[in-house]
Amino acid sequence: MLVQFAGIMVVISPAALLAVLGLATLFRIPLSERSVARYAQASSSIGLIASLCILAYMLAMNIRHVPLELGDWVHLENETTEADKDRANAQQAATREISETEIAEDANTQHFHFSLKFVFDRLSVPFAIMSFVLCGVIGAFAFRYLHLEEGYYRFFLYYSIFQLGMIISSLAGTIETLFMGWELVGLSSALLVAFFHDRPAPVQNGLRVWSVYRVADAAFLIAALTLHHLSGSGDFEALMGKGDWPGGHATITENQALLVGSLLLFAAAGKSALVPFSGWLPRAMEGPTPSSAVFYGALSVHLGAFLLLRVSPVLELSPILCGMVVALGLITMIFAAMAARVQADVKSALSYASLIQVSIIVIEIGLGLRYIPLIHIIGHACVRTLQLVRAPSLLKDYSNLENALGDHLPDSRSVGRRWWSPTMRARFYRFAWERGYLDSVLDDFVVRPFVNIFKWSDRMERRWTTFLSGTSGTRGTADRETGET
Amino acid sequence: MTATTQESAFPETDQTAAESTEHLIRRLADLLPLQGPITAFAFLNPLQGMEDQPFIEALRQVGDIFGCQPFLPEGSYREKMAQGRITVDDLNEIMAEESGFDGDHKVAGLVRHASLRMSMLQHSINPGAEHERRWMIAETDAIQRFRSEISHSVRERMIDSTHQWVSNVFPVSAASSRSDSAEELMDVVQDAIPRTLLGGSGTLDENAWESVTLALLWRLLRSRMQRTPSGSRSSKSPVRHRDLLLAVSSEDSDRLVHEVLIRFCSVFLDQGYAQWKLPHRSAGFFHAFISLFSSSGFFTNRWLRPVATELKRIHTAGMSAMDSLEESLSLLGIAPHEKESFVRGSLLALRGWAGMIWQTEERPDRVYIPSRHGTLIEFLAIRLILERYALQWLSRETLDYRGSLDHLREFIETHHSEKDTEDTVEQRAFPILQLTQLHGWTPQTIAELSDAQWQELVHAVEEFSSFERRRVFHLAFERKLMRHALDSVAIRASQPLISPKTPQLQVITCIDAREESFRRHLEEVAPGVETFANAGFFGVAMYYRGAGEAHYTALCPVVVQPKYWMVEDVVYALTDSGRQRARARRLLGTAEHSFNTGTRGSLTGAVLTALLGPLFTAPLVGRILFPRLTAKMHRTARGFVAPPPITRLRLERPEGTPAGPHDDGIGFTLSEMVNMAERALRDIGLTSGFAPLVIILGHGSDCLNNPHESAYHCGACSGSRGGANARAMAAMLNDPRVRRQLLARGLEVPEETRFLGGLHHTATEAVTYFDLELLPASHMRQLHLAVDIFGRVAERNAHERCRRFETARLDFSPAEALQHVDDRTEDLAQTRPEYGNSTNAVCFVGRRSRIRGLYLDRRSFMMSYDASQDTETSMILARILAAVIPVCEGINMLYTLSSIDTRGWGCGTKLPHNITSLLGVMDGAASDLRPGLPWQGVDIHEPVRLLFIIESTPEAMLRIMDQDLTVGRICRNEWAQLAVLDPNSSRIQRFVNGEFVDYQPSTTEIARAESSLDWYRGWRDNLPFALIQGKNGS
Repeated sequence: MLVQFAGIMVVISPAALLAVLGLATLFRIPLSERSVARYAQASSSIGLIASLCILAYMLAMNIRHVPLELGDWVHLENETTEADKDRANAQQAATREISETEIAEDANTQHFHFSLKFVFDRLSVPFAIMSFVLCGVIGAFAFRYLHLEEGYYRFFLYYSIFQLGMIISSLAGTIETLFMGWELVGLSSALLVAFFHDRPAPVQNGLRVWSVYRVADAAFLIAALTLHHLSGSGDFEALMGKGDWPGGHATITENQALLVGSLLLFAAAGKSALVPFSGWLPRAMEGPTPSSAVFYGALSVHLGAFLLLRVSPVLELSPILCGMVVALGLITMIFAAMAARVQADVKSALSYASLIQVSIIVIEIGLGLRYIPLIHIIGHACVRTLQLVRAPSLLKDYSNLENALGDHLPDSRSVGRRWWSPTMRARFYRFAWERGYLDSVLDDFVVRPFVNIFKWSDRMERRWTTFLSGTSGTRGTADRETGET
Repeated sequence: MTATTQESAFPETDQTAAESTEHLIRRLADLLPLQGPITAFAFLNPLQGMEDQPFIEALRQVGDIFGCQPFLPEGSYREKMAQGRITVDDLNEIMAEESGFDGDHKVAGLVRHASLRMSMLQHSINPGAEHERRWMIAETDAIQRFRSEISHSVRERMIDSTHQWVSNVFPVSAASSRSDSAEELMDVVQDAIPRTLLGGSGTLDENAWESVTLALLWRLLRSRMQRTPSGSRSSKSPVRHRDLLLAVSSEDSDRLVHEVLIRFCSVFLDQGYAQWKLPHRSAGFFHAFISLFSSSGFFTNRWLRPVATELKRIHTAGMSAMDSLEESLSLLGIAPHEKESFVRGSLLALRGWAGMIWQTEERPDRVYIPSRHGTLIEFLAIRLILERYALQWLSRETLDYRGSLDHLREFIETHHSEKDTEDTVEQRAFPILQLTQLHGWTPQTIAELSDAQWQELVHAVEEFSSFERRRVFHLAFERKLMRHALDSVAIRASQPLISPKTPQLQVITCIDAREESFRRHLEEVAPGVETFANAGFFGVAMYYRGAGEAHYTALCPVVVQPKYWMVEDVVYALTDSGRQRARARRLLGTAEHSFNTGTRGSLTGAVLTALLGPLFTAPLVGRILFPRLTAKMHRTARGFVAPPPITRLRLERPEGTPAGPHDDGIGFTLSEMVNMAERALRDIGLTSGFAPLVIILGHGSDCLNNPHESAYHCGACSGSRGGANARAMAAMLNDPRVRRQLLARGLEVPEETRFLGGLHHTATEAVTYFDLELLPASHMRQLHLAVDIFGRVAERNAHERCRRFETARLDFSPAEALQHVDDRTEDLAQTRPEYGNSTNAVCFVGRRSRIRGLYLDRRSFMMSYDASQDTETSMILARILAAVIPVCEGINMLYTLSSIDTRGWGCGTKLPHNITSLLGVMDGAASDLRPGLPWQGVDIHEPVRLLFIIESTPEAMLRIMDQDLTVGRICRNEWAQLAVLDPNSSRIQRFVNGEFVDYQPSTTEIARAESSLDWYRGWRDNLPFALIQGKNGS
């Protein structure tokens, strides 16, 4: 009973923060800087204490799995066909973000149970604790860092969305719950990138982040639907078998696992900025320093890896899938290691350094490790947060270091110097300088064809409507206008 | 100090065609930001390159040249007006001073010119941007209801007379005999009036008549405006292709160019942050770029692909950067007469980076990896190559233009010049509609204006543009503050001098405005203390390397290139311990460095973050949640390896050896020391009446996590701590040989007087002393006294400063305040460790005894100077002002412009700053380098030009202005305001239009308070100046 209460508190505390800040915005109730900060701190502290309680309980009782069902929101008799069910699911997915209700389908009873379900296990509890600690610390940092800033209030609103998203994602017991958290994180991240919306660059980069997230989310959504289709449920328990994480066994076939797994890998790649989506990560460094620190450097960039960990039983079914995971991690690691070496500004350099570690974590997951990547995520998140928060100290740190060494810092000896010819090194340099050409390749070979198709369709449509309406005289001008737009 | 004469800006000439492009670029480089590496903050006027023009004239151009604001927005001036900080009288006075302006002239026979302008100042009548006006007309009742501030009687009168006019005029409309213009007028009237009324049967209530009145006015104004050509509006089209293209296609070619250029500049200028170095960097900007980009990049951005071929062509043709630049200019079709503005626009488009390139080229002594001569030209050559291809690409993509670039501008102008005349007419008519209401002009009045009268009215309204209005506002605001300052000084100056007969302690501080309150509290705490102020490097311009430091730092104003080197050594007895500690530091440093680079690497990073990562929650949580404790632990830990506390300056160099950064060249020769010492004392007039202990205080600040740290240090030491200068000066003055030679020059320093160097920490209010172990036992009593006084001053000064921090409670006790300012410096998240020289407005040059006891609210610089000790030709004043005027004016203009347009002149908010190339900061992921002060450093600053009040005579000042070009330029072109205070009376003369005129004090009253605390307690905003009288009212 007590553990149920603690579990509820873990979820309620960030949700309450969002509710308070959101409602205050809605009804234009002015809150002072101090009270906003107090609410934010209370929210993370209560959440943290509650999760620690659960951890203690689980350790003491040697329980590995505590589900928390918050009851049914909607209960429908099932008289529909399979196809209807899918359609309903799609609709639910669409409304999910807004309604904040949780939907889970109970296949056994052949009813629709839209229930809120969270799971406390060895994966989710450490992840939730880490989220609370880092969010709490960054909240305390931002309270002073953003003092008197025009967007102070807005920042904490996004912050509360982000924190809620992280907690829901980490504790999700069904794939739809995870998707909801995932979406909240994505939304708040994009808004935070575009935080300084009176300059063009943050808005452009925010939009870019948002677009990449949408594409990745589409893959996630398809994967979720496919899973429903295959196993008849979005519940991880039903999906991954009864074993506690990481020991579950998925109930689907190898080929099915490959299909679903690839889609999820695609989704994870978008969120974790793996190749070919890596371009957004350095561009995300547009927001205030604390938001870049915790959100891109430390938490949300790990979410893709977390997803892979969560569905690890699916990975285990397919060696090909594992191979793909390892390959993707390896490619990203090599790319990021090169790109990191040519960055002359501290935030880009740190973002590529993060990417290196994330890709190594992905490799570890692909190799079948479970606890090591989890530890690696937590350790890396802490180090990177501290480094990003201290990024403005770079000049002082360098001067202190040089004073200690008594000279300018030595040039780092790169291994390549001995192995590669100058021409090769110049090539590598250009490749790294161009950030692996990833942005331009996406722009030119993915975005541009789409845009061209849309433009062509638009032209055709106009031509067709002009033809139908019989005003052929204006056709020429209409065409030219489209050409220009 | 004479080295402060700056590179003068070349006068604008029209002979640019004949001028070589290279010369042109070097001339225009004066407009670039003057900020070099951010670790040495350049407190210089961002518009220094335009100081050869009058202040207002320069500001008139900055919108076009820099795209920055010259003044605050009108709204904030109106707010100041509402607070009484700008008065109607001042506004009238400023307007009356304008040459050729006759305020009593009746514009269009309707209204006095002065009251027309006044109504435009007092009321917001301009619609702002076009879409704003469109919104106001569509969504508000701007053309249905009178403005809310219009009084009931005016409203009624206007409605009545309209009513009458319409009823009188309308029957006439039925008649057949009408002139053409009357007919047209009738059309307008009929258009505006509801049909029911025209039938003659309808009656309307007053509200309806109100909207009829306004609708009638609006139609009338629009129809008259349609026939009025816009007069002074310059319809000069921009020179850069980019601007034209942006206007018609909303695609910005600069965005493409800058994405490449920013990233390339950052690796080119990198001072050692990136692990891989740019290949061929030593070949220079141009060739490094060519060799990086001429390898085919198939995957690179589409618009950039043809550049590789072009670069190969340039390379094989053996073209130099200059050749390429000329070629680009001709390919872009730049005519000789537009060359200057085109090159200027291209140079300033990415002015942060261009400026940094120029700085690394011009001042190689201030960077580790300098750029060679001509890099700015190479940068511009590359820029234009990129620009050509970006324009080519965008014009093809958006306008389907495939012709050559030299005809692009014509093409855009002929095919895409769309002027929405209806819009411009409404835009011009809207302010006049507001004026008709404010002045009660009825539709009849407007209709009956002759064409000449109408045009006069329109002209009068339009010539008083946004710039002019804000200029008047700004000058009036300055005027009021100036008057208040001069009145306060005059009142104080009419009272007797205050200086202790036999001073128990003398303190020499920096001219800095922050030290104003420090001095004041010193004098309040201990009336026996006498204070002086001198430029914070105390005349000792040197490269300095402290014990445990790796490099020399230039400790002198940023425009000076030092000729001396100075090293701090650990004393002989502690050499061994010093060596051990240095070894320990090196070991720890290497470990830290390896760890930092390790976490950024791949496999090392994996091992380190996975194994040690969770341990990092401790410093993370500690630093942020418990900053005080963590800082304490940090300090203790550092104490074990810090250099031993007892050190010596290597002060003396044998006579005859040249100075240089080698073992024999460190320090000063005896004669150099004597010269410096003599100057330091004579400049501030401290030549007799020495106290037993004289403390010379440099100053510096402390903060964490702040790239702009140097902006808080001493401006006269180019953003470093000035302690070493104070220490060196004290050591020189203590040298018996120096004293003997000073005596020979007629300057006797008593034997029992000792000098002590120190450092005032302006953020924590702590004072550290140097060479205490050299102080004789006889002076220990004085030292204890001084330490005690400084301790009490620290609390008081901290308390006064806390009133400006919103996070500090107003009811803090002095001890709490001291703790609070201390905490601010140890907080990782603190963006305002202190406020630096914010709010500076005045600079007093003269004897402290004349303004001692005047509360100047930390807004005044102060330089000690005693005119009675100066030569006939004011030699001392001349050399003082040669430094003080440019330095203080530079600080003031930097603060003023940064607070006027924080984004344009300053570096915006600190929050997204991203340190790049170890040189400066960008906004977010990639942007132009941002010089200037951050918003968090200027948010309490009130933009005003500095007012110099100099205790001297007009003749002396005029002579100095003639002798010293820089001083003359700043004063005569009004980049600062100037007044002189008579050394023997309270007469003040202001420098106006090239001559000194008597200033008539506007009041003889001034607020009085018992102590500073009584005066400022409970207030956050700027306070009026006041007399602090002490308990007995003396």
